[in-house]
Amino acid sequence: MLSVDAITFFESQGFPVLKSLPARDEDEAAGKAGTIGFPVTLKLSSPDVIHKTEASGIRVSLKDETDVRRAFREIVGTFASGNPGKRLDGVMVQEQGSGTEVIVGMLTDPQFGPVLMCGLGGIFVEAMNDVSFRLVPIERRDARDMLEELKGYAVLRNPRSGSIDLTGIEDFLLRISTFLKDHPEVREMDLNPVFVSSRGVRICDARIKTG
Amino acid sequence: MMVEKLGRLFSPGSVAVIGASNSFDKLGYHVMKSLVGNYRGEIFPINPKGGKIWGLTSYPSLEAISGDVHLAVIAVPASAVPGTLHACGRKGVSGAVLITAGFREIEDPGGTVLEEELRRIAGQYDLPIIGPNTFGFVNLSSTVNVSFTSEFSRIENGGVALISQSGGICHLCGFLAIEQRVAMSKLMSLGNRCNVDFPELLMHLVEKDDPTRVIALYIEGLDEPRKLLEAAKSLRGKKPIIALKAGKSEKGDSASRFHTGSLAGNHAIWKGALRQAGILEVATAEELLDTAKTVDACPLPGGTRVAVLSGQAGPGMIASDALEPHGLRLSRFSEATQERINDLLPPIAIRTNPVDMGPSWYDPKNIIEILKTVLDDENTDGVIFLAMYASANLKLAEGVVEYMKAVDPFRKPVVACFTAPPGIWDEPIAALDRKKGMAILSTPERAAQAMANMWKISLLMNSKGVRTWDR
Repeated sequence: MLSVDAITFFESQGFPVLKSLPARDEDEAAGKAGTIGFPVTLKLSSPDVIHKTEASGIRVSLKDETDVRRAFREIVGTFASGNPGKRLDGVMVQEQGSGTEVIVGMLTDPQFGPVLMCGLGGIFVEAMNDVSFRLVPIERRDARDMLEELKGYAVLRNPRSGSIDLTGIEDFLLRISTFLKDHPEVREMDLNPVFVSSRGVRICDARIKTG
Repeated sequence: MMVEKLGRLFSPGSVAVIGASNSFDKLGYHVMKSLVGNYRGEIFPINPKGGKIWGLTSYPSLEAISGDVHLAVIAVPASAVPGTLHACGRKGVSGAVLITAGFREIEDPGGTVLEEELRRIAGQYDLPIIGPNTFGFVNLSSTVNVSFTSEFSRIENGGVALISQSGGICHLCGFLAIEQRVAMSKLMSLGNRCNVDFPELLMHLVEKDDPTRVIALYIEGLDEPRKLLEAAKSLRGKKPIIALKAGKSEKGDSASRFHTGSLAGNHAIWKGALRQAGILEVATAEELLDTAKTVDACPLPGGTRVAVLSGQAGPGMIASDALEPHGLRLSRFSEATQERINDLLPPIAIRTNPVDMGPSWYDPKNIIEILKTVLDDENTDGVIFLAMYASANLKLAEGVVEYMKAVDPFRKPVVACFTAPPGIWDEPIAALDRKKGMAILSTPERAAQAMANMWKISLLMNSKGVRTWDR
């Protein structure tokens, strides 16, 4: 399950998500952006692309309909010229997220079973492997330890990152752990990024594999 | 049940050595060497060839022994092991140590088949088996050495139990323990873990084995790690558990289309899982022993504030430097403490933390007074105490021994280094080490690391708290 489907699924499970709607063409993208309210983000929607940033598949801070239409054409144009033969579903129009980016993930390890992961998002995960792991289910102390173990913990604590709701992330990790315990059919999961700010925690993008 | 039999297995009143031998090139020879003249219970050497073995009357079989046999140590060829286990079951022995190798660990699939048979026979008689493919075990708290290395009996008797997935690591740590005065309760290699595995032993050592005060684990890899972790978690807060985990490869699943899967190296998961279970992970064999030794000997610190008292300035400085990377810091003495130190030391050296006690070189009484004063300081959670030998301070260590006699046991940890050429301070060091809440380690940096690990353990053992350390 990918992008809009996965986000809708997590919303249905009661998790906080950024408002997200699928759009197949430019007119639909413009219309849905209006429904969501500006500014919005446009994201490439293709089952063949994991790293949307590398595929130039994300446009942020689109403040009006003109921006959205231009962004749609750029994303689709770049994709079509760079990825012949790959499937394109359109784009996802999404409420603009803000705050610090966090990744929360899960994998099923052959020895350990379900394992929860958390890390700082974006470059911290990609370049520094700055993540921590716990076995599902976790307790509150584990949620806190997972954050404190991160090399980037100081970033979360730094006032210049904005006032971040650390307890909110802990609560979120605990709820994800409970969700995973109740849904053993989930084999793998990426919530990446999850935005964390003083206003709370919101899932921005998600992938989930069941089996 | 099995766990109840473990008590008798480790402290047997009688031991049969099946495969006992007078021939140096048989493991049964070396097991006998470990037992004879050391073990206080009854020894039954078993060998169908008969005659005296190690000066003791031998028996052709277990059946030929009229008395009870509590423990059977088996060192016969692999093919003879199933029959031997049946004999053990019929004799009603409480447990077996199966030194014989050639089972699951070998390439030949026949080894795995044979091991399955052992497991079935063990189940039939509810017989706990340490091994197969083990060097045996040493129980120093009740003077039982049923290993093929008699020199393990030289390890001092104390509170550290080492459970290892490798016999080689037991030999490494056992001999280092002798050299570095780590006092142990038990030393054992689990071998192929037929039916006695980490969870059973943790339960036994924590719940039933009073002499064991701290448990050190060496883990290579487990098929079902959650069993160990859940056992440890259920015992959280009772006895400190420290682990050295081999296999630090950090490769995730590169085929995974998920970020999480590609980031999840096996060791990264172990690291998180050990901490989740309340187990302190250490990085080296040296750190495992240092930490186990200090936890066995010292009260746990209540915080991160450390006083460094050094006979010479330099070692004190490197100890201080080592504090912060390990999450500790130099304590700030109260006014009363500082005044008292100023009374005891002339103003020709640095008297604030880290304290240079150089001017008291010839005055061990003063040095002990400084130590006591700092331990009473409410802003100090532990002390690192350093003294390097010089020809002129030869009498220092003996003086410290003398004055320590009258001192009450410390309520805070003191980790010390007394460094001298071999043979010079050996006796006073042995007299001071692990007494009154002081442990002696080799270097100032190792002292700082051990202090930090004691603090981490006190946090991990706290079953309620969520207070943690930063990395």
